[in-house]
Amino acid sequence: MALALKSWKALGTSVLVLTTHDDRLEPATTAVRQVLGDVDAAYSRFRADSELTYLNANPGRTIHVSPLLATAIDAALRAARITDGAVDPTIGRAIRVAGYDDDFSRLDGPHPALPQRGSDIWLRTERVPGWQAIRLDRGSRTVWLPQGVELDLGSTGKALAADLAATAAMAAAGEGGVLVGLGGDIGTAGESPSGGWRILVAEDSRVKPSGDGDVICVPAGGVATSSTTVRRWSRGGVILHHIIDPQTSLPTSGPFRTVTVVAGTCLDANIASTAAIVRGEAAIDWLTSCRLPARLVENDGTIHYIGPWPDPTSVAA
Amino acid sequence: MDSLTPTQRDRGLQRLRRLTFGATAGGLIAVLGVGYAAAASYAGKSSATATAQSTTTTTDTTTSSSSSSSTSSSGLQSAPQAPTTGSSGSGTVTTGGS
Repeated sequence: MALALKSWKALGTSVLVLTTHDDRLEPATTAVRQVLGDVDAAYSRFRADSELTYLNANPGRTIHVSPLLATAIDAALRAARITDGAVDPTIGRAIRVAGYDDDFSRLDGPHPALPQRGSDIWLRTERVPGWQAIRLDRGSRTVWLPQGVELDLGSTGKALAADLAATAAMAAAGEGGVLVGLGGDIGTAGESPSGGWRILVAEDSRVKPSGDGDVICVPAGGVATSSTTVRRWSRGGVILHHIIDPQTSLPTSGPFRTVTVVAGTCLDANIASTAAIVRGEAAIDWLTSCRLPARLVENDGTIHYIGPWPDPTSVAA
Repeated sequence: MDSLTPTQRDRGLQRLRRLTFGATAGGLIAVLGVGYAAAASYAGKSSATATAQSTTTTTDTTTSSSSSSSTSSSGLQSAPQAPTTGSSGSGTVTTGGS
């Protein structure tokens, strides 16, 4: 079985497609490009013509949305419900006010509207309205947002995209198995290579697969990592990051900087990893009750393993 | 009030039957739906005590041989099989924050 790989950039991050049959890479890649194009048009927060931008710009009105955006909002609401609001899609305004208001590739450098390092600044926050404020009618595919609510589907949206892309790629490939990686969020479909998909667990998805670190073999399902060590930016000399605590409307400041989870889908892995960062110390008990294999890195580098995570000292041949 | 013609009365009775049937069917669906939701919730509550454990790098971890995915009481779906330890090589990909 010859593995074949293709990678490129999309959705402001890296995309990677791996197939177990090298002659199936092309149709799989085409299918992934199609899904990511649809995702970008449906729920990019940075595209003026996306459906999500239109929805966010029209609070107080019932808006008819595409099946894809309805699915993505439904997934985000499920995440909020499962995590008691630790993962909340109504952080859109809070994260924009915190300065994450453009594609991350364009956020490098000081914001022109803010004072430079060393100057006094006011840190402004916006209260997160809470996911219960959203009205989604699945039957009619309509969404209603109250005034002041902006959705951000970034966390669950990317993981959902990895799952959808893997499923579409597998359908296009027709045989074997497919892995799709979207900026470190990994979805799989079909058969895995012998022993499982090999995945290097790092804090930054840009680490080369040959780099140092734990390597796990995943036969099926999804893998996701949430980390406060990446996608950081500076506003007035204050370092901020993209994982917002809905309780405070500010970037999280808990004990864990990086959490990796293996689950049945990439979406569920991402829900668990993001919620763990937000929950802080309570994440260990919560992840234990979820019975999902997880790896948590404390701010000082101490690593905790939860559930059936493989013993890192026992390397398979 | 004018009296109804036989045709009007028949139409009225038919409408009443449709309404009665609709209300009965709707009620049955609602009962089944609530029952299903309750059963699903209760099934989650009755699941076995979690076997997971918190460890550090030097502590043994649990490996599972489960071959089918399941949903825990948290509502999150577990992978069909637990991951195993591997080594980097051809086809390795990286998970990490982005």
